[in-house]
Amino acid sequence: MKRLIAALLTLGFIASAAAEEAITLRSTEMKAKPYSDAQTLLTLPERSKVEVLQRRASWTQVKSGKTTGWVKMLSLQLVRGTTQRRADNGLRSLFNVAQTGRGGSNVTTGVRGLSEEDLKNAKPNPQALAEAQQFAATKAEAKRFAMQGKLKAQQVDYLPGGER
Amino acid sequence: MRTLVLMMVLSLSVSAQAFDFGNFDLEKAVKTVQKIKKANEDVSEPQEIELGSGIASNLLGAAPLLDNPEVQRYVNRVGRWIALQTERPDIPWQFGVLDDADINAFAAPGGYVFITKGLLARMNNEAELAGVLAHEISHVLRKHHLQALKKGARSELFSDLANDAIKTQGGDPRLTKLVSAGTEIYARGLDKQDEFESDRMGVVLAARAGYDPYGLPAVLQTLQSINPNDSNLALMFKTHPSFDKRLQLLADEMTPALDAYERQPDLDVRFAGVMAARK
Repeated sequence: MKRLIAALLTLGFIASAAAEEAITLRSTEMKAKPYSDAQTLLTLPERSKVEVLQRRASWTQVKSGKTTGWVKMLSLQLVRGTTQRRADNGLRSLFNVAQTGRGGSNVTTGVRGLSEEDLKNAKPNPQALAEAQQFAATKAEAKRFAMQGKLKAQQVDYLPGGER
Repeated sequence: MRTLVLMMVLSLSVSAQAFDFGNFDLEKAVKTVQKIKKANEDVSEPQEIELGSGIASNLLGAAPLLDNPEVQRYVNRVGRWIALQTERPDIPWQFGVLDDADINAFAAPGGYVFITKGLLARMNNEAELAGVLAHEISHVLRKHHLQALKKGARSELFSDLANDAIKTQGGDPRLTKLVSAGTEIYARGLDKQDEFESDRMGVVLAARAGYDPYGLPAVLQTLQSINPNDSNLALMFKTHPSFDKRLQLLADEMTPALDAYERQPDLDVRFAGVMAARK
């Protein structure tokens, strides 16, 4: 993580340290640590505004008043226009992806991407498809890549159907 | 073709029962016909891959491939590793990043998956990328696009392909029409339930591949916070259920089933390294 921050700082990606905000979607316990069985510091009522510090898996570290603790990520809704910093990875700066207006303004971006018409009128580009194919990974490459990342395959059943 | 099959099956059933008309089971015969008809309305795997490659070629005609071999190879490795954890590990999976500012991702039958640069640029780690790719992989696993074609305005052509009346080699104009119809699905969107199903399967596939399964909801949460008037989200809004609904369903479905996997790595450092590297 330190290496990441150092790398980002070097490349000048962390442009602003503006606070990211979120609203609780439901009554939510704030924990001392990002675990279900950690000590509960306080219970935030529904629609509480908090400052977002960081995310770790299903937990988000937030600050409410003077208390800092962890709440379930999916109990939060990020406040529009405050998430610039979090969503600013290297690619975004490097490739000049259009930035959205801050503070929830209604400014739309100037660069227009792939549209409905583009898709309806699309003509085949077999050359690009052949080019794409040369980047495909073999099973062996994929396994080696997973091992390098210390990713361990798990047996996990599909979740039962939700709303039908 | 179908009429011919129907007639043949009926005449077979009738002649087999010819000595005992009293026992002729019309209901059974009709069921047999329905069964044969159904079997012939699904395309074979080679046909699926051929159709998918045509759709992928069209997609690349609409948006170019990002000229960054390192990013392309990286996305292929993440995607292929996830695909190995699925019920279709052996189809020719192929992943790609489109050089497009729009925020979107696409899957085509047979194992073709593309994400836009605009979406990739808003991710924070490899688990988020894995979550999005796993959602797209699930569309391929469940053949959602084939289902949409089967139900759509070109359903006759789809049946013709399934019944081998259209050959995938030789440039049959009907295949081109079917490929166009397949590409247009991206402008119209899939069934909402198909999107929810892919969310539900995607988080499981990410967990199977050893990632923090909360990458997909994290991306959805980031996108939810983007100004909805952003033109780069217009197509995504039109073709997908709301982020609010998707996140609400995932919140209910993932807890507590996937809690045991939440401490799996998100590989933020590896992700940042690839994104920051200049080609």
